Formats: sequence, C-alpha cells, structure tokens
Amino acid sequence: MGSEIQIAMYMTVILSLYINISICMYGVISKPNLIKKLISLTILQDSINMFLILIGYRLWRPGIVLQPPVLLDWSPTSEVLKQFLERAVDPLPQALVLTAIVIGLAVNIFLITVILHTYRHFGTVDMDEIGRLKRVVIVEETA
Amino acid sequence: MKGTRARDIIFITLIIFAITILAIPTLLGALSSIPPIDLRTIAINYLNNTYNPFNQTLWTSSPEAVAAIVWDYRGLDTLFETVVFYSAIVAALALYREILGEKDILKGKGLSVIVQRATAVSMVGILVVGFATILHGQLTPGGGFQGGAIAAVTSVIAIVVFSRLIIDKSRLSYKRLLLIRNAALVGIALIAIIPIIPFMFGDHTFLSFIFQNQVKAVNSFSYPQIIVDVPMGGSIWFYNLFEGLAVITAFSLAIIVVFYSEELSRKTIEGGEIGF
Amino acid sequence: MLELADLIFIMLGISALLSVPATILAVISRDLLKALIFSALQSTMYTLMFFLLMAPDIVLVYIAVSIGFMSLLIILIIKKVGRYERY
Repeated sequence: MGSEIQIAMYMTVILSLYINISICMYGVISKPNLIKKLISLTILQDSINMFLILIGYRLWRPGIVLQPPVLLDWSPTSEVLKQFLERAVDPLPQALVLTAIVIGLAVNIFLITVILHTYRHFGTVDMDEIGRLKRVVIVEETA
Repeated sequence: MKGTRARDIIFITLIIFAITILAIPTLLGALSSIPPIDLRTIAINYLNNTYNPFNQTLWTSSPEAVAAIVWDYRGLDTLFETVVFYSAIVAALALYREILGEKDILKGKGLSVIVQRATAVSMVGILVVGFATILHGQLTPGGGFQGGAIAAVTSVIAIVVFSRLIIDKSRLSYKRLLLIRNAALVGIALIAIIPIIPFMFGDHTFLSFIFQNQVKAVNSFSYPQIIVDVPMGGSIWFYNLFEGLAVITAFSLAIIVVFYSEELSRKTIEGGEIGF
Repeated sequence: MLELADLIFIMLGISALLSVPATILAVISRDLLKALIFSALQSTMYTLMFFLLMAPDIVLVYIAVSIGFMSLLIILIIKKVGRYERY
C-alpha cells in the first residue's frame, strides 16, 4: 500500500501549492494596499520556489533511506559513491532556489524602499486613493 | 464598496476555474510520474562527479553537491546573480542618497540594561553560528548565502535593542560597511580570474578557464584540494567567505537605511514634485 | 503498517494543507499586522516542508530570510504607514 499513500500526499502538496499561488495572484492584483501586495508577492515567490524543490524529490523505494545531497564519507570508495547516487535527491533545483531566495530578498528590500517613498509623496499606500489623487490633480491642470 | 464586491466574486470564480484547469491534468499524470522515480541524467552527473577522487579532472573536492553546483559547475550563473543582488541594494541606497551617512536626529536610549547585556552575549553566539556556516560551506549544508543571512540578523537585533545611536557610536559606519562589501565583491572577481592571469601576461601555452577550481585535462592549475584530511573545496571556500561578507554587509546597509527616522527621511523627497 | 517514508509524506501533506488557510487569512485580513503574522505562519509550514524534502541548505537560508528579515522589515513599514487597510 505504501506508494499509494505517498503519491496521494504528493498530489495534495501540489494542489495546495496551486491554491496558494492563485490566492496570492488574487492578492497581488486585487488588493489596493501596497503592503498587502508585497506580502502576497513574498508568498508567491516562496510557493514557486517550493515547486522547484518539489520536482527534485524522488519516490522512496523499499530498503533505501533518502539523504540530502551531501557526501558524509571523505575518502569514498566506488561502493560508497554508488550508494550515494541511489540515496541522494536532486541538488540542481536546490542550488538554483538558494540564490533565488537571497536575490528575492534584495528585490523585496528595494520594493520596501520604493513603497516608503510612495508613502512620503502621497501620504497613503492605497493604490485606489493614489489614482484618485492623481486624477484630481490632472483634472485641475487641464481645466 | 460595491465595485470591490463584484471584483472579488469575479476573481474567486476565476481562481476556482484556474485551479480546476490545472488540477485535472496533474491528477491525470501530465507532469509524468510524480514523485519522480529516478534522478535525471544531469543530477546523476553532478552527484557522481562532485567528490569523486577517481576522476580528478571533473571533481570539485567538495562533498557538498549544492555548494559545488553554486560555485563551481554553475559559477558564472552565481556571479551574475551576485551582480543582480548588488544592483538591487545599490538601487535601494540610491533612493536615500541625500541622507546617507548622516547622524540621525532621533535620540533613542534602547531597551533596558538587562536586555542589552543579554543581547550582547547572544549576538556573539549568532555571529559564531553564521561564520561557522559560512566557513564549513563545502563540508556541511551551508555556505555564503546561508551564513550571511544568519549573521546579518545580529545587525537587526543590534539596531532594535541598542537603538539607532549604535551606528553612529560604533566603528561600523555606512562608509566602512560599503568598503567591506566592495572589497568582498572584488575578492570574488579576483578568485575567478586568478587562473587565467598567466595567459593574460603572455604565456599562451597555459590554457585555463575563468572560474576554474580544480585540475582540468589541459592544465595543472588547482586551488587547495585537501588540507590535512579535510576537503577544502578549492575556490569554493574563498567564494563562500567573500559572498558571506557581501551578504552580511548588504543586509546591514539595507537595515540601516530603512531604519532612518521619518523626520530625516523626508529630506530625501524635498524639492520633488509632490503628487507626481 | 506505516513505514518511515509514508510518515514523512503524510507530514509533508499536512504541512502543505495547513499552509493554505494561513495564506488565505494572510491575503484577506484587513489588519496588516495580522496578515504578516499569518504569512510568517505559512513560512514556518514551508520551512518544515523544505526540511522534509531533504533541502537543508534552503532551510538555513529560508528561516533567516523569510521568517526573520521580511517580517521585521514589513513590521517596520507597517509602523510607518499605518496598520489598517481601508476596506
């Protein structure tokens, strides 16, 4: 029975990630508050990263215990290397996500400073309100 | 608001529709067998060659496959990602260029003495953990990004607990942090181009690569492989160290800038067209 | 009889399911501070998932970045721009 439970749970993870991603897209598009947009954006980034890690995983086979892609034996024989190949998960998505998270944080810091400047200019971070303020100014200037 | 409610209903319908559209093929097996039963060929290559003493022309002498991919097999990718990282922080700093390095008007005292002493002790602990993560990046999970992010927490706690005055009092001012950061990035660039220096100065028989780490078939240049009996990972150790310093200082700079008091920060938008 | 692998996959599924209500509450709550706390809860669930997916490197960087750094920075700007959404 083992592998049916595993596949069902894996499907559950993928479906929850779909739900998370669509909810966060709703948050980014529909919520007028810029900070709410930023929070949704961070959750969106994390969900996409989780997808990348998820495709690097593999099914457990009977008799094999999976391990992170780190070799613990510093003077390996070819037997050890063969076992390592059978037990380790895919390291490539992990390497890509690692840099993606840190760069995402740097971009988020930039977004935070931009939001702060927007607040100092307009006195609000609500996009609807900012749009209304700009419309009023434009109507005044053209009239 | 009336318009908001209509918008929400449309969006919820769209979300349910999109999830159904995506879920049905997934359940029917559109993503091939999930979870994957075998590793992909490229992953097998990386895992097999990362620490393989029998094939030293392809190994990295680092038992940690992730660090090996980040700084050796895909080193150029990481270099350009570091450039993106650098530009994002520089862009954030550029918005505050008018007040960078100034003393804050606000005079805070920070939290009570007990909290300050306890934090001072735990800050040392966090720094040690961060640097241990950086310096053992080629042996255990860890490396420049991870250790840098851990160690940068100290600067956050320091500013919250000791108040902003600690930046003006301590020796780690804005300019020095920027200096350390640039030095770390120059270090990354130097480690990357050291293998090709003989070629640049006219020795055209010495063929080597940018970002070369260990011996290749065409030349014998190599960074230290094993010291005593500990794998050093060649250039990976140096890259981790410099990247860790760059990450710590970058996040400290960002925190310093965002923590400026509102009165002083208003200066950055003075003279601008308010409202546009 | 459940094996180790089944238990790990069940924990994975449960933490993924728990992250969904956290995300929903984070997106729909009007109080931005509450939204941030729910977002941190979702990050905690994701950290558990990264750990179960055998990615210790990601766990190390994700805990510090997503639960520590982003929460602190967003609390800071919430303090500056006001706590409540308009509607």
